[in-house]
Amino acid sequence: MTQSNPYLPLPVTIEKITIENEAKDLKTFRLRFQSDEDASSFKYECGQFAMLSIAGAGESPIGIASSPLDEGILEFTVKRYPTGVVTTALHNFDEGETIGVRGPYGNAYPLEQMEGSNLVIVSGGFAFTTLRSTIRYLLDDSQRSRFKKITVIYGARSPGELLYKDELAEWENRDDIEMVVTVDKGDEGWSGREGFVPTVLQEVSPSAENAYVLVCGPPIMLKFTMPPLLEMGFPPSRIITSLERKMTCGIGKCGRCNVGSKYVCKDGPVFTYEQLQQIPEAVL
Amino acid sequence: MKRGKIDKADLGKLLVAVSETAQCAGPVADRVGVKLEMLSADSALELAYDNFALSPKLWFFPRSEVIASGTGDALETTLLPEGETVLFGLRPCDAAALELLDKIFLDEAYLDPYYKNRRQNTTVVALACNEPDAACFCTSVGGGPGAGAGADVIAFDLGDALLFEALTDKGKALLTQHEKLLNAPTGDDDAAKTKVIADAGAKLKPVKTDGLADKLSGLFDAPVWEVIGERCVGCGTCTYLCPTCHCFGIYDEKAGEQVQRIRTQDACMFPQFTLEASGHNPRDTQGVRARQRVMHKFSYTVDNVGETFCVGCGRCVVHCPVNIDIREILEEVAA
Repeated sequence: MTQSNPYLPLPVTIEKITIENEAKDLKTFRLRFQSDEDASSFKYECGQFAMLSIAGAGESPIGIASSPLDEGILEFTVKRYPTGVVTTALHNFDEGETIGVRGPYGNAYPLEQMEGSNLVIVSGGFAFTTLRSTIRYLLDDSQRSRFKKITVIYGARSPGELLYKDELAEWENRDDIEMVVTVDKGDEGWSGREGFVPTVLQEVSPSAENAYVLVCGPPIMLKFTMPPLLEMGFPPSRIITSLERKMTCGIGKCGRCNVGSKYVCKDGPVFTYEQLQQIPEAVL
Repeated sequence: MKRGKIDKADLGKLLVAVSETAQCAGPVADRVGVKLEMLSADSALELAYDNFALSPKLWFFPRSEVIASGTGDALETTLLPEGETVLFGLRPCDAAALELLDKIFLDEAYLDPYYKNRRQNTTVVALACNEPDAACFCTSVGGGPGAGAGADVIAFDLGDALLFEALTDKGKALLTQHEKLLNAPTGDDDAAKTKVIADAGAKLKPVKTDGLADKLSGLFDAPVWEVIGERCVGCGTCTYLCPTCHCFGIYDEKAGEQVQRIRTQDACMFPQFTLEASGHNPRDTQGVRARQRVMHKFSYTVDNVGETFCVGCGRCVVHCPVNIDIREILEEVAA
């Protein structure tokens, strides 16, 4: 008897591992499906996540960092926590080895709805991953003309903690995206901006006119980012963020990511600030 | 066959006949109470019981079950056995809970194959209540001592005999299969049935729940939750015994090269339930965890599937080690 099992991960090969930061606790894993059928059935959009599975360790929900236009591969940037069983195990894997993936899960950034608008992307720390997926997608030749001005404000604790350094440099050289990269505190080699993301956001003060803002970061950053955005005139319905909660199933059953009447895994992870204001437990 | 009657003295014979083509479980007495157990020829069948200490949801959503396994890096689905099961003697509240769990596990978007398999292969025969327990409050949450929701057949205890009524095609098939052992009910039987159910209903103390969901949504930040949290010891007994609580975790066990991915029941009453690897815990006090349980059952599920996820079985009331009584919380909220 064959039985469709939503809990069964699909086998993928780790094609490439990139160490992203000086602390070496952030790695990007490039994965390739072992079966063509799995590769073509796994269709995702910017902002979605998947469960990464390590047989013997368990599963973790991780945002997809590659672009839906990156054919045949999937990328995930994973932070290793000493208490994180799965992330620690994954960081001990080598290129060529097999892990599992199931998904994609959750909703996506509403790119259709954002078409023809100016886009402001605000991010801090390693929450940047699904926004990296989005930026890669937006900058693709087939997509860039659908959107107007794109401004990215991205911050990390220190220069060594910035993710995707090669891509950041590449994007800074383009004239169809404005990159504002900041660090909390620079070092000898750093000639760029210093300052927390909410402060830099206020300095840059992007126009709210015909604009959407995508914001992802740690809870403390989100808390201090919302007031300036509202002050700049962004309506709550156009402030879009992504929530994180501990998850088990990813499909709205296990109850773990329940906030108010919503499940972050299936009703989110993407919510507008307007929606979050209606969910007392999710208020930033 | 839609209805049939049997003398209680012949019930054993009927259940033996049922177990010839299906696994059959029923109420069996042991020294600590009455349990829903697989029946064998020498089982001590017992019909006088308030309810099973453990909710029959465990037959469909066990405490733990292997959902995938394998050796090395790839896992394969662990298949479930086929074959029919008949569960006899679920109280109407517990049967109604199955209909609620269906809304979670049989949701079209993502069918849960393990729950579905067991639900599909099981015929539920409920036994109406003549003597509700002091902690029961089914009629306050949409149920009743003779309600048939979630059951395929309901049996009424008429004293010397049981009256069976089929409620689904599966139930009709079961009665038809064993019609030789059943008699046709009479008008007197119907009158007796109406009386026992009315008598049972009259023994239930109603809990005021008017406008509960609406009121709860305005009480998210009310002080009542931390007051409950100060009493609650976070043992999770309420959630494990609850026939509708369905939260779970998935964990891997490894022995040598053999890996088993195991789903286990979990509970929103535990701090670890929402504790993230970073150390951040969005529900960091027992009060907010107690709030989550009440909100989920009486507000969020109403928003999502139009149902209150409480069937009034009273298990949490009876077994809470610090005597937290959900009925008192509901009345306080609804007041």
